[in-house]
Amino acid sequence: MVPPDERSRALVSVLGTAETKVTFEDPRSIPEMVLAVVEAALEDAALGWHDIDAVVTASVDLFDGLTASSIAVTEVVGAVMKPETRIAADGLAAAVHAVHQIMAGAYRRILVVAHGKASMAPYWDLTAWAMDPIFLQPLGVNFLTFAGLQAAMLARHDPHAVSRWATTAALRRSAATGGIAGPISVDRVMASPVVASPLRAGMCAPVGDGACAVILGDPNIGDRNLGEEDVRIAGIGHDVGPHHLMIGELTDWAGLRRASQRAYTLAGVTKPTFAIVEPSCLFPHEEELFVEAVGIGTTAPHSPGGGLFAGTAPVISGLSRLLRVVRALKGRTGERGLAHGTWGPAGQGQVVVVAETP
Amino acid sequence: MNSPTSEFVHTTIELDMSWRYASGDEMERFLNGIAQRLIEAIRCPQCGRRYLPPRPFCGRCRVRMTEWVPVADTGTLVAWTVVHLPIIDGRTGEPRPFPYGMGLIQLDGADTALNHYMATADPELLTIGARVQAVWRDELEGAMDDIMHFEVMP
Repeated sequence: MVPPDERSRALVSVLGTAETKVTFEDPRSIPEMVLAVVEAALEDAALGWHDIDAVVTASVDLFDGLTASSIAVTEVVGAVMKPETRIAADGLAAAVHAVHQIMAGAYRRILVVAHGKASMAPYWDLTAWAMDPIFLQPLGVNFLTFAGLQAAMLARHDPHAVSRWATTAALRRSAATGGIAGPISVDRVMASPVVASPLRAGMCAPVGDGACAVILGDPNIGDRNLGEEDVRIAGIGHDVGPHHLMIGELTDWAGLRRASQRAYTLAGVTKPTFAIVEPSCLFPHEEELFVEAVGIGTTAPHSPGGGLFAGTAPVISGLSRLLRVVRALKGRTGERGLAHGTWGPAGQGQVVVVAETP
Repeated sequence: MNSPTSEFVHTTIELDMSWRYASGDEMERFLNGIAQRLIEAIRCPQCGRRYLPPRPFCGRCRVRMTEWVPVADTGTLVAWTVVHLPIIDGRTGEPRPFPYGMGLIQLDGADTALNHYMATADPELLTIGARVQAVWRDELEGAMDDIMHFEVMP
């Protein structure tokens, strides 16, 4: 429960949420997927097109194979002749940008949309193109390589790390009801092929296609759909790490620690305990970095639905984590949740949202 | 709208483009050095960190960096991984043979770590903390792959 003296610090209200079911290959086009979640989110919020003042979309040109990838969804998100901003990072960062706009008094209600389709091209190969073109691209380094290096450093003095990560991956996959990859045993994780040592295929969250939408609103406008049970965003924080990875920085998500402290300060969180915690972790070792950085304690439960191991898509992960936090908190009184997003290699970009119910 | 069971319609678009990146003064000096088997880092006048590859500003102190310091082509293996997935070689556009070893290397005289290929993909031959040495091409072009890979020193 949120202590009484820490409540009512709402920055914005969450009016509606929707997401597609993540699949390895969604036959729909990107605009079709986005339209589905936009209409569902509007219905969830009991709002219409004209109630939305502005739009923030999250997409990455590189992953979509498009320049100005937001242009593909301009009509379906209702951004024609409206103020639209595109964020080329995790979808939760787009939500944070929308919070800023509402807090500034610029707009009352903002639609936030993220989409990603890993089925369109080899995802890990594409991430190599996100690197510095002169120095790193000739070397073929990609996000998976960084994850392997990060895991290797963490496992160096920890002989049980790999078996523990296999157990974590199996646990998450088993918790993911309807997950796109299905449950898996620890033995099968350990027998799965090495992809970037010490990481095995079974230790990687399955990445497919998905879209997600969240509608945020000014908590002070007396919206007709706002009730006492509605979820509010009480704290936001994000952080971008240094370009150069100093020795040791791969094994510490210091940027997440800074981001979460910013969110905790805004939300008045003095002790980070949450009814629900939803990290965006593609690999089990990232969960350990997450838990340490946000300060929830190593025994605190998180990812009740399997987290990203249920299946995720590029760009949507953080926004879909917010959706899950909101749905878990809705209807409960005086509870608090934490959603997390990340982007870039080895977690260089970090974003945190603290949500709560009155 | 397609139904979820409709046939996929794929459109394949092939691009054959190249970019001419302006490298910037710092990277230009660095790459010119590489062409002479000389590795240089740039040092922050405030925190003293020696950055490799060079950047114009220290991101932590936000001060301009202009002091160059020589760095050895030997160093310490900070982390390694063996990658078992095929990737597209950034220099050729062709698939690169796999598995291959990738290292994170702290060169002697630098404070940052450098990514590069390892000469071996055999996990038994790679150890964090191992001393490593750059293996240079015979013909140098002033690019990062003038260093072909790093090998573990005997």
